[in-house]
This record gives sequence, C-alpha cells and structure tokens, in this order.
Amino acid sequence: MLRYITVRLFHGAVVILLISILTFVIMRMMPGDPVYLLMGEGQVRITEEQIQAIRARWGLDKSYPEQYLIWVGNMATGNFGESIIRTGVPVREMIFEAIPVTAQLNLYSMILALLISTPMGIWAAVKRNSAVDYTSSVISVVGIATPNFWLSLMLIIIFSLLLRWLPPFGLRSWQGFILPVAVLAVEQLAIFTRVMRSSTIEALKQDYVRTATAKGLPRTTVILRHAVRNALLPLVTVIGFNIAFLLSGTIVIETVFALPGIGRLFTDAVFRLDYQVVQSLVVVLAVLVVVANLVTDLVYAFVDPRIRLSR
Amino acid sequence: MKPTEQNNSSGERKLSRRAFLRYSALGGSAAFLAACVPAGAPTGGAAPTSAGEAPAAGAPKQGGTMVWLGHQEVAGLSPDDTGPDVQSVLIYNIHNPLVYYNEFNELELVLADSYEVAEDGLTYTFQLKKGVKFHDGVELTAKDVQYTYDYYRNPDNGAVNAGDFTNIAAVETPDDYTVVVKMSDINAASLSTWASFPIVQSAYHAEVGEATYRTAPIGTGAYKLKEWRAAEFTELEAFEDHFRGRPNIDVIRLEVVPEPSVRTIALQTGDADATVWPLLVEDSLALAQDPNFVVLKALGNSIKHFPLNNSLPQLADKRVRQAMMHALNREQIVADLWQGAASVAHSNIPPSSFYYNAMLTQYPYDVDKANSLLDEAGWMPGADGIREKDGVRLAFTITTITGDQARRPIAELAQQMLKEVGVEVQLAEAPVASILEGLRAGTMESSIFNWTYNTGAIEPDAFSTLHSTGGNNFNQFKNEEMDRLLEEGLKTVAPEARKVIYDRVQEIFVEEAPCLYLQFDEWLNVFSSRVKGLPVDPKASTVWFYRAHEWWLE
Amino acid sequence: MAVTTSSAPLTAPAAASKHRSEWQNAWRRFSANRVALVGLAMLTIIILMAVFAPVIAPYDPINDMDTAMRGCPPSSAHWFGCDHLGRDLLSRVIFGARIALIAGIGATIISVTIGVIVGALAGFLGGWTDAILSRIVDTLMSFPIIALLIVLAAVLGPSLVTTVVVIGVTVWSRYARVVRADVMSLRERDFIVAAYASGVRSWRIIWRHLVPNVMGPVIVLASLGIGSIIILEAALSFLGLGVRPPTPSWGAILADGRAYILRYPHISFFPGVMIVLTVLAFNFVGDGLRDALDPKE
Repeated sequence: MLRYITVRLFHGAVVILLISILTFVIMRMMPGDPVYLLMGEGQVRITEEQIQAIRARWGLDKSYPEQYLIWVGNMATGNFGESIIRTGVPVREMIFEAIPVTAQLNLYSMILALLISTPMGIWAAVKRNSAVDYTSSVISVVGIATPNFWLSLMLIIIFSLLLRWLPPFGLRSWQGFILPVAVLAVEQLAIFTRVMRSSTIEALKQDYVRTATAKGLPRTTVILRHAVRNALLPLVTVIGFNIAFLLSGTIVIETVFALPGIGRLFTDAVFRLDYQVVQSLVVVLAVLVVVANLVTDLVYAFVDPRIRLSR
Repeated sequence: MKPTEQNNSSGERKLSRRAFLRYSALGGSAAFLAACVPAGAPTGGAAPTSAGEAPAAGAPKQGGTMVWLGHQEVAGLSPDDTGPDVQSVLIYNIHNPLVYYNEFNELELVLADSYEVAEDGLTYTFQLKKGVKFHDGVELTAKDVQYTYDYYRNPDNGAVNAGDFTNIAAVETPDDYTVVVKMSDINAASLSTWASFPIVQSAYHAEVGEATYRTAPIGTGAYKLKEWRAAEFTELEAFEDHFRGRPNIDVIRLEVVPEPSVRTIALQTGDADATVWPLLVEDSLALAQDPNFVVLKALGNSIKHFPLNNSLPQLADKRVRQAMMHALNREQIVADLWQGAASVAHSNIPPSSFYYNAMLTQYPYDVDKANSLLDEAGWMPGADGIREKDGVRLAFTITTITGDQARRPIAELAQQMLKEVGVEVQLAEAPVASILEGLRAGTMESSIFNWTYNTGAIEPDAFSTLHSTGGNNFNQFKNEEMDRLLEEGLKTVAPEARKVIYDRVQEIFVEEAPCLYLQFDEWLNVFSSRVKGLPVDPKASTVWFYRAHEWWLE
Repeated sequence: MAVTTSSAPLTAPAAASKHRSEWQNAWRRFSANRVALVGLAMLTIIILMAVFAPVIAPYDPINDMDTAMRGCPPSSAHWFGCDHLGRDLLSRVIFGARIALIAGIGATIISVTIGVIVGALAGFLGGWTDAILSRIVDTLMSFPIIALLIVLAAVLGPSLVTTVVVIGVTVWSRYARVVRADVMSLRERDFIVAAYASGVRSWRIIWRHLVPNVMGPVIVLASLGIGSIIILEAALSFLGLGVRPPTPSWGAILADGRAYILRYPHISFFPGVMIVLTVLAFNFVGDGLRDALDPKE
C-alpha cells in the first residue's frame, strides 16, 4: 500500500514537470510580443532603449532555458511571477482571487448535476431500453451539445431582460450564481448520467444482486442498498477527472456572465500574451488534477482489498 | 508678442493624447475622437438623430451611484495605464492634468490657471491654481508636476507613455505654483501630449513606487478610488474637497462585462447607466429610438482601414493599391455593414479638422477603372481568375483581431469585392498582440482596424504612422517627401504654414494609398436618460467621461 | 468485444469464421435496436447532406452575398434566414456539415490511430515503455484541453487542417488509456501466451491478435467521441481558431451570430440545432454499437 502511494506520488511529480515544460514551450511558440501590446496602439515614439528596459523588467531578455529555470524555481517557492498586463501585480494574487469564483461555480454545478443525474442514471439503468432510458439519454446529449454561450445568452434574455428576475451578469448577489450554475450543470449531466447508468447496470448484473432478489428482498431495496453503493465508485473517478474541466467548461460562461474566474483569466492572458499568468494557471490546475486523481486512486485503493493488502 | 494661447482659427484645436481611444481589443467598434461635425460632412444613410439632450430644468441632485460598463479588465490606475482601454476614463476622474482638450475641442485649463508658450516654442510656463487638494489632503504644488513629468519621461522607469514627453529637456519650478518646461526642440503636439498628462501625488508616489501606485493612486480628481477589483469592478467615490466642488454623483462603479450583448441587456434592465465603449452599431441605433436612453454622437477621428504591407511585391506598386481602392464599394460598406453611422474617408485627416484638404482626388467605386489599372500594372488574370505577374500571385492575407465581431464582416465583404477584380484575399484571425507585432515588424500582410493617421482632429501630425521610421508604420510606407514633410510639420507652429505642409501630406497619402482607407466612424455612446448634465452637441467622444463630476442622476 | 471466450487457440480459418458470425450477430442485435436505427438514419441524412451539398444548397454559401439583406429573418426565399453578411443561412449550414464530418471523422481517425498504437505498446510491452508512455498520457489528460487547443491553434494558424490535427493529437489519450487496460488484461490470455511462446514476434501479436480484440470498445468510444470532437471544433471556431472565413463551419456560424444574438438570433440558432442533432445521431449509433457488440447482455 505504501509502495502504491509512493509510486503514484512519483508519477504525479513527473506529470507536473512534463506539464510545466509543455506549457512553457507552447507559450513561447505563440507569435507576438507582449511588450508591443503594452505599448498599446498609441502614437508612441518608443525608442529601442525603452523597449529593452521594459523587456529587462520582465526578464524577457534572457535565454529560454534560463527563463524556464527561473520560472520553475520561483514557482516552487510560491512566486508565480508578475503579470505583464496588470503590470506588477503578482500572479499568485490574481490566481487565488479568481479560483474561488470558478471553484464555487464548479462545485455548485457539480452538486446540481449529480442531484439530477444520479437518480436519472439509476432509473435509466433499471428501466433499461425503455422510453425513460432514451429520454434521459437525449436530455443529457442535448445538454452537452447545445452551445453553452447560446444557452447562457438565451437564459439571460429570458430571466433578466424579459422577466427581470435575475441580474444579467456578475456575482454581486447570490442570484448571480443561478444562471451560470444551471448552464454548467446541464453540460455535466451527460457524463454523470452515462456513468451512473452503466455502473448501475454492471452492479445489477452481479451475483449478490441476484442472490438478494432470490432471497425475496423488495426490488427497490436491492437496487438502493446494494447496487447503487457499488455503482457510485466509478462516479468518484469521473468527478476526479472533471476537475480538468474546471477550466475549459467555464471559459465561455465566465465571459458571458462577466464572472472574474480563472476561465476568463486564462483566455485574456493567452490572447494578451501574459506568459506568467498562463503558465502558472496551467500548472496550478494540473497540480489540482493530479492531486484529485491521486485522491480518487487512494479511495479506490482503500476500497479494493487487493491493493490495500498488497505490500 | 508672446502668444498667451495658441492661435485659434476656427477648428484649429488640439486634442489631448489621452483622449484618444483607439479601438484595440475584442468587441469594440467605431473610432473615437471627433472634431466639429461640419455642415457638409457626408454622413451617408440613416444616422441617429437623438444627440445629447440638454438637461431641461431641475437643479443638480446630489447622490446616487452611476454604473459604467467596460469591456475589458482595468489593468491599473496609474497615468501610465492610459491608452486605448477602459481605465482611462477612471484615471482621468482620479487625476487631473494641467490642461486638456475637452469634448468641444477647446483647450481647457484644469490644474493650470494660465499658461504661456514662448515665441520660439521652446519654453512652456504654467501657473497652477492654488488650494488644490489631493485625496490625502496634501496641497498640489509645482513639485508634483515636476515629479510626474520627470518620472514618466525617464527611460529608466520604462514608462509605456514616455514618448509623450518627446523633446522635453528640463522641468523647473521657480516657485510653488509655477512650472517651467524647457524643450530641446519644438514639439508642436505638446499641449495635447505631455501637458494633458495626469498629475500624481509626488511624495506618495515616490514612497510607494509605481507598482503599488497603480493599485492605489492618489490624485486631485473629483473621485477617489474606493475599491479596485481589476477583472470585476472598480468603484470610485466622491472627493469632498475637490477644487471644482464636490461632484454630484456619490459613487461611480465601472463593471467589467466582456460580452457586448450582455452590456446592451444590462443597459436595458437598468443595471447600468452608460458604456465606455460603443455597443454594436445596430444596438446603439436601436436604443437611440428608446426614450429611456440618450445617445451621444460624435464623428470619429480614426480611419477604419486595411493597412497593407507595402514591402510585399504584390502590394508594392501604387497602381495595385489604387485599383483596390476603386474596387471597394465603400458606400455599400458604410450603408449595409455600419448602418450608415460613418462617413466615407477621402483623406487621412477627418473632414472636421482645420487641416482637412478638400481638394483631394477621390476613389469612386469603379470596377472597370480597377481592372484597367491592374492590367496597366502588368497583373494579368491567371487560370483561376486571380491575377499574377512574374510568378507572383496577387494574393494576401487580412488578419482580423480574434473576436472582432464588428469589423470582420467588412473584411469578408472586401474579400468578395476584391475577388471581382482578380485579387485573392485570405482571412485569418489572431490576437491583437500578434497583429501589432506582425505589422510593425513587417511580417504580417494586412489587417483591419481603426487608427489615426494624425494625432487628432486638432493635431495633424502623422509621424508615427506615415514616417518611414514611425513606430506604427504598419504599411511599411517609405516615401522621402513624406518623411521630410512630417519632420518639418512637427517643427512648425504657425497653423497657416502647417496647413500648407499637411495639405501636401494628404495629397501624397491619397495618391500613394499606402493603406485601403474606408471610413470615419461615428462614435455612439449610450447613456441612460436618468443621467443629466451630459454635453449638448459634443464634438469629441470619450472625453465626455472626464466631465463626470458635473453630471447628476434623476 | 471479446471474440474469443474460450482459451483454446483457434486455427486461422476457424477463428475467421467465428469472427464473421460474431459480426453478423452484432449486426442483428444492432438492427433490432430501434433507437440505434433512428440514429443511423439521421447520420445517413447528414452524410448525404454533406456529400451532396452543392446540389442541395439553394444558394452559394460563400459568394451569394447581399449585404442589404443582412440578418434577414427566415422566409420562403431563405428558409433559415440570412447571416450577418446577407448570405443564405441554410446553404451555409448544409455546407457546414462537411466541415463537421471531416473534422469529426478526420480527427477521430488520427486520435484512434495514435491512441491504439500507444495504448497497445504500453499495455503489451510494459516496463519502462509503459511507464514513459503512461506519463505522457497522464500529462495530456491533466492538461486543460482547451488551453492546449487555443495555444496550438494560435501558433499554427487557424485552418481546417490545423483544427483536425490539433484535435487529433490532443484527444488520443482517452483511447490510449482504454486500449492499454484492455491489452494488459488480454496479454495474460492463453492464446496470446501461446503465440508468444511459439515465437511469433511482438508487433505481429499486437497487430494480428490484440488490436482486433480491442477495436470493439474503441469503436464504441470513437463513435461517441466524434460527437465531442464536433463540439470541440465548434468551440475552436467559436474562439476564432478554427476554419478560416468565409468557409462555413457550424462553429464559425455560431460565432458569427454571437454579436448579433439580440438582433438576429436565428444566426446562432440553426447551427446549434444541427450540432445537437448530429451529436445525438452519433450517440444513438454509438450506444447501439456498444449494446450490439457486448455479448454480456
């Protein structure tokens, strides 16, 4: 067990390292120069020295390997560098300011999605190949395939412009959470329902279920007490993976609803070539994903005696 | 005689450099500054008629919160953060400059009580108002002005706007309320550049440094910073001891809402009172019809155009560029894609400017002329209909800004129009940073945006865009006569003499057509009708927001 | 799909005929599934639409531009209305099916190929190969895909080819995972061990025996995956990193309609509907395939 954990930790570290290199390389490949963007499009007669001065300020004048090492060293000590666009502001501050917003959005939407998809998935599995099953499948697919910006804007138009029930943007009040969380939840329904359904089906096929039914236990008890408990495990794994969607899922939503989360931070930074922000953000997220996967692996390990009892 | 003010012929005005908002990133539209809307200016098509309404009766009411909408985050609040962005309107409410060009294109004295320019144009003397307080209670003195200018012009400090202070040799303070700026050479654009630069509280700035200052500025402006959350909102509150009197509105809150449609919705639901950048033209025009809104309109100062990399073999011959000018039906573009809220451009300087040359050749939409020019230049149609010459195809790529939903349709339409005469245009998208770099370095072929080929309606200088060494010479334009003229123009102060020079500049611009220039946009700003005190019939656009201290809410 | 349920090594012809009848069984099961058939029908329509686009589309999707008709609402002359440049939306949507299918199928082929190869190698060879390959797979799966897509597309410049390649090389990891797991479990089966023992070389084993056995789940995943790739392509085009204008792709049309959502809402509506229907179709077919190929019914 200990060996298992150690090996997994080592793997995690390697992955994080690879991610950092990948991010660094890719960001440097992007065409464009952040210094020019800073200059804006004003009628600036900027001299070469002034450009060099700005470059030096951000260490953009050093060689790539040097920049990489400096960056990694800094990140290890918690110094995520400074933003170029929001000049001088420490990236760590920006990220930690933005993370709670996205984290809340994801948490609430995940809870909402689970609340809907768990019973829906179980029901679909129990009533396999019936109208219920296909309807739930259609609903989930529609949820994930509908362009989320369209859905967001439609909801804003309906609930904000026409009905005046909810604010059109922002998080000034808790009502501001309702629409973005709804849209995000709708997207996640598909994957959760599918997993719940297939794992419930698997669980229902197991011998112990047939035994319980043969023993005369009422079907509902059988389902709820035995099948579901085992069906929940794969869901845990999927949730772990969903953390990777922390970023991609929210990019558009945060832009449309004007929420200051990391999705927006990321896109703005990519398009304005704010290197430090992009790199740090990606690495932070990757670390989160690796940690989340590690945790889910550990949960599995505890539950699965074969791993738990190994040396 | 030493002039105490610039010679003022009608329309010869200078606009604060800060007042320029150039359209840069995602989601904006239209250009910015304006000059006097001339009686005969072609405006084409239907234009909104509800200009700024004069606040009828009613004394100004105190109190309330006004919500402004910005499309981008507020990166910082230092004077160096001004530029084509959202935060300029905040910075100018937190700080004040010595003078600036206001929304009527008049030079307005703010912190300066009076000023003098020496005859040789090498010395500027400003008398400061007395008793002006900073937000922390300290009084403004000449030392603050000196510190501000010296700090930002110092190349060691790496200020992005250092170029504003060109040719300043020294800043002196003979007494607490007098500032003397000595120039090493004439900078005809002085009053609209460094003299309009916001002044900081020098002791405080020296103590905390620029990095901290931009997150917590202290100025003399009518509003002081209450809370700054860059990507979310920024709140300013009224400064009780402002030298022009306490402003009427208590709190100004700038919300960052990147999605243009949501900004429109927010205005309609009453969650916002104004947007800093114009909305989609259709939305602005629709709201103009709504009595709940007031739309301020001013003719823009920047030209919407396709910069062309003149160093490419297929774009080097001016006949090719002229042919393309004839191939573009600019009236159609203005009417169909801009709802008529623009006027076709016939020069690099807007028609409202004193320097505008009305006797220039124009480029009417004429496909036959375009074809014959291209034939003449030796570009013959190949098998696929695209012209070629010496093995080079007459093709180039227009790279639009990612997410630039307002202007990309124009590029798409132009693509079709140019195809008619055998020119192939490819379209691509890229972030603004890449485009700017590519154009400046000459690695990119073309794009579309709004730019001024002069510093303002008042200031005709086009050095940075048309001079061969200009920092924004996107066209890689190299013309000796133009270079010479531009250099001379900057040294010449007398408007009549300048007019001669800039007339010729415009002639060359039109003749050579270094870029495909399209139109001057109208800048439409929507305000909720509960905002009172808005300017009547303004000439320049975003500087309106610098007058926020006089507005009030019903 | 586990073709060989017994552990006895089969002679080639016997194996082949058992193979064939398994497919026939699968097809029978598939066609009994009404929903899967509906999905297949929808897919056929979409594919036909893409193939015969020039014939079906009433207007030229690129050149028939009438800017005076900008944003016109659905009418008898324009069933889906006009887009922001006055082009017929129906024609653009029809041609958009081409991009969707090319991107979806193209990227899937690339990602399946890479994924199967990597997964098979990792699963069969084990040891260091597995360790290294698995780390790479983990890295890709932990990296926010959208981030990778955005940056790669911005670097390579937007175009259909870029989109296909970029998506292909970023999503293969999910196939690699599955293939690796399957291969690892198959590796211990008698027929594989026997083949290895009798001197059959590794690559042959992988190619002849392992890959066909894992293709079942892979096909299912792929058919479901095409749907998500179409969504990804739409997202990329939406961010301006997909096909170049004026090429019509559903994502690009969606993006076109974004700014005008209050004025001309139909522009974004129709491509959205098409995306949903196409993804639904692929999902019905994919689910049907999974049920058909899974004998543990």
